[in-house]
Amino acid sequence: MRSRPRWPILVAAAALLLAACSQGTDTPSTTAQAPAATTSCASNGELTMWERSGGNKQMVDMLVAAWNAKNPNCKIKLTYIPHTEMVGKIAQGIASGEVPDLMGMDLIYAPQFEDAQQLVDLTDRISAWPELKTASKGHMTVATFENRLYGVPLYADVSALFYNKDLFKRAGLDPDKPPTSLPELREYADKITALGGDLKGYYLPGNCAGCNIFTVGPLMWASGAKIEAAGPGDEPLVGDGVKQVLQFTRDMVKAGNVHEGDRTENGETFHLQFGSGKVGMMGTGNFNITLARQQNPKMDFGIALLPGMAPNSAASFIGGDLVVVPKGSKRVDDAVNFMKFLLSDEVQVEVYAKALNLTTRTDMVDNKYFRKEPLVQDVAKALDVGRTPYTLTFFEQINSPQGPWLKMLQRAYYSDDNLDTVIADAKAAMKTIANQ
Amino acid sequence: MTATVELGRARAVAARRRLRGRRRSGYLLGALCAAICAVMVAPLVMSVLASVKPTEEAAASPPTYLPHALSLDSFERLWTYQQGLPTYLANSLGTALLTIAFTLVLTVPAAYALARFPIPFKEVVFVFLLLALIVPYQALLTPMFLMFARIGLTNTLVGLAILHTVIQLPFSLYILRNSLSAVPLELEEAAITDGASSWQVLLRVCVPSTVPAIVTVALFAFIMSWNEFLGALVLMSRGSSFTLPLILAAARTETSLGGTDWGMLQAGITISIIPCVLVYLLLQRYYVSGLMTGAVK
Amino acid sequence: MYRSRRSRLIGLAYLAPALLFVLAFTAWPLAQMIWMSFHNWSLITPPRWVGMANYQRAFADDQFWVSFAFTLEYTAIITPLLIVGGYLLALLTSPSSPSRRLTRTMVFIPVVIGLGVSSLLWYWLFSTDFGLVNRALMDLGLISKPVLWLGVDADRSNLAIIASVTWKVIGFGMILFVGAIQAIPTEITEASLVDGASYWQRVRRVVLPLTLRTVLLVTLVSVIGSLLAFDQFYIMTAGQPQNETATSVFYVYLNSFPYLRLGYGAALSVILALTILVFTVVQLLLTRRSHA
Repeated sequence: MRSRPRWPILVAAAALLLAACSQGTDTPSTTAQAPAATTSCASNGELTMWERSGGNKQMVDMLVAAWNAKNPNCKIKLTYIPHTEMVGKIAQGIASGEVPDLMGMDLIYAPQFEDAQQLVDLTDRISAWPELKTASKGHMTVATFENRLYGVPLYADVSALFYNKDLFKRAGLDPDKPPTSLPELREYADKITALGGDLKGYYLPGNCAGCNIFTVGPLMWASGAKIEAAGPGDEPLVGDGVKQVLQFTRDMVKAGNVHEGDRTENGETFHLQFGSGKVGMMGTGNFNITLARQQNPKMDFGIALLPGMAPNSAASFIGGDLVVVPKGSKRVDDAVNFMKFLLSDEVQVEVYAKALNLTTRTDMVDNKYFRKEPLVQDVAKALDVGRTPYTLTFFEQINSPQGPWLKMLQRAYYSDDNLDTVIADAKAAMKTIANQ
Repeated sequence: MTATVELGRARAVAARRRLRGRRRSGYLLGALCAAICAVMVAPLVMSVLASVKPTEEAAASPPTYLPHALSLDSFERLWTYQQGLPTYLANSLGTALLTIAFTLVLTVPAAYALARFPIPFKEVVFVFLLLALIVPYQALLTPMFLMFARIGLTNTLVGLAILHTVIQLPFSLYILRNSLSAVPLELEEAAITDGASSWQVLLRVCVPSTVPAIVTVALFAFIMSWNEFLGALVLMSRGSSFTLPLILAAARTETSLGGTDWGMLQAGITISIIPCVLVYLLLQRYYVSGLMTGAVK
Repeated sequence: MYRSRRSRLIGLAYLAPALLFVLAFTAWPLAQMIWMSFHNWSLITPPRWVGMANYQRAFADDQFWVSFAFTLEYTAIITPLLIVGGYLLALLTSPSSPSRRLTRTMVFIPVVIGLGVSSLLWYWLFSTDFGLVNRALMDLGLISKPVLWLGVDADRSNLAIIASVTWKVIGFGMILFVGAIQAIPTEITEASLVDGASYWQRVRRVVLPLTLRTVLLVTLVSVIGSLLAFDQFYIMTAGQPQNETATSVFYVYLNSFPYLRLGYGAALSVILALTILVFTVVQLLLTRRSHA
């Protein structure tokens, strides 16, 4: 990468700053010198891009469509790969040299591929970009390996506590005062479940590892605990918070505060649960705002941060996808331009924010679309307390349906096994995986 | 004289009694047959009905048996999904036809050789060719993928068809060899005395006599190739080369952020099923006898 | 008929395409797979020789045994269902009347759809909140709230999957049995009728022994297929809960793809293939002896 001249990048960056300062709309004829600085084809010809299925497909489609509209000479041809097969497919692609020009990747897998040096090191090309200073912390953490940069955010999801204001009112709770600690959450849940019918105060996905790290993991983080083992020799599941949260969830299930059907939730109907109106409070993601509105337009709901054991403690899981460039890609320049495009002010506002998706830059949260949607602003607050796990074996330790994370939770939720044993078993298993 | 008449009358009475008994049990068995038919076909019918429900009804919980309204929403979504259903159908069909072609071209001569010619170590060779039966082909996929990548067969229908042929070859060879062995030798000997070469004997005598087995092999090859998923996933990395089963897998995580699009899933299932069932019903008379003679040896 | 040396060469010529094909596309990948089993390889890092370590690891691996035991359990339950059920269906549908032929056709229809599609279909039917099985059971008053069929309890998931696979596959055995039953010479059937034997006596003493070879063959094929079962588990439970419903091949898949432990997956495949080979040989010897 050092051999490439940096002038095109500097010119693009300069033009971007100019474009940002002038609040004009984008007109192709603005300056001939910086031809569409945020969107330029380094070379002509179709770009191939892979993205995993089961993510925010609408968002990615919109971003690609926006790029294609501006760059008909280097359109992106997007292929969705079933997400359970993504890791294997990327590995095969790299081993056989048949890689796409760029790809979207579940951010959580980035460290694994960076460690194996299968992603192109982009540090020299992008580290000076000012936009990156305010880009999502969680994304940039996993996009970094040994101080080298390998990608930028594609889209961001955060988890938060959604609560049904209608049910709050019915249970005699103040709809503007969501719980700020887990003991409080329990209290409120009891009251809502007491309303009877098919209403329950809370929700726990019983068969979905990813849903749980997304919504229960932050409860542990907020309680001061650490979850994943980052690499060989690292200690997983550290802190009293782990046991406290497991106890909390076990008590929730025993108190009848969750539907029995939650037990089979494997992620495929997770996004439909809150919108059903039958759940008082639920950890879920920003994507659920629009979904719940579509499902249940009359439901009045609010968003708070996921709490920990202590009052006013909070945390969130920053998830989503990164854009990275696989080793062997022949269009690195174009890929980098696409990254620039994604981080540009205009795209942040007119594509991300307009669709009520989180902007991947925290400094763009205050925009005209969000101002009309207080809920989105609320959920964006989670970006400040959020983090992304960093480990080289995320799938096996945590996301795998057969892994120790889900096993530990299932034992905590649905069995009477001694929690210390449960945690010790999971710790041992996670350590073994991390040490391979 | 009277003795025979008496005997005759006794036999007639016994026969009538047996007939009455048989008629009663006949109704019972008839009902049983009807029940079995219903059980077998009901799931398919329900799926087809579910595919013409409007989207919200398809995702309803609890589900409805019969659609309350008819709608082609789900088929529309399936039709326009990513590269479009026609692309995927064409890929699946193309691969299936290639698989049939490869399978027949390879196994008919081979079965002929094994059935009729004095090949050294014939049994050993036969067992060798059946090798793929005991190995889980999932583990062979990665070596095959790397091999195909080197010779440029990834993302091609030909490559996928080769993979499918590998899977289908043992079964096909077994059926065809049994079937060709059963062709009466006199037919072949007659042709030879007429001066036919072995190739002509194969084409003019053996093949026509084993049409049922050939149709069976072709049909099973079609079904297997049309429905195969994992190999297609490994070999295809361009959306435009995807086959129908890959899209069905996608329908399971299709609604925003990982939810199942039930309507589209049903539409996909319906589209997957229809060709297989149609081909089967049309070719039934060959196919059933092909299996029965080809395997019963 | 063809006896000369020249005909031997001709025979080899006919055999050659298939032989070359299998050598190139089956034997060679198989050899590579065996080679892989002696290495640690994640595709994105170079392979590393480890000798027998993968095999040793397999025998010490809990999940390997859990999967193996589960696969055996699955096979042990479904095989009698398919053989006995298929045979009974064959007895029912072997007469040539139109109604019987129609039944035969209907029972065979599930065989011609794909296993993947069938699994998706039953995944829907057994879905807790969206499936018709729970709806029907509740309407019939047999259960009061939806049953969690798939992915929560290993035994219940196993039963649900067995039900779906039986539905799909039973027609195959049935057709082969019908073929065998219809191949019984009519003189033998008539002779037994004159003897005054009851229907079931006839089945036991005449039909069964004369179709034994087919029964053993179908059993063999069925067992091999069950030992190698993958699709239905991948689609209906994904091995849940906690890999308790992960069959041996599913575990091979996990190691070969998402876990990127190709060497280990290859070793597991070799062990599985050898097991099946041993079983096949035993079964074939039994078949030979029964015809001595």
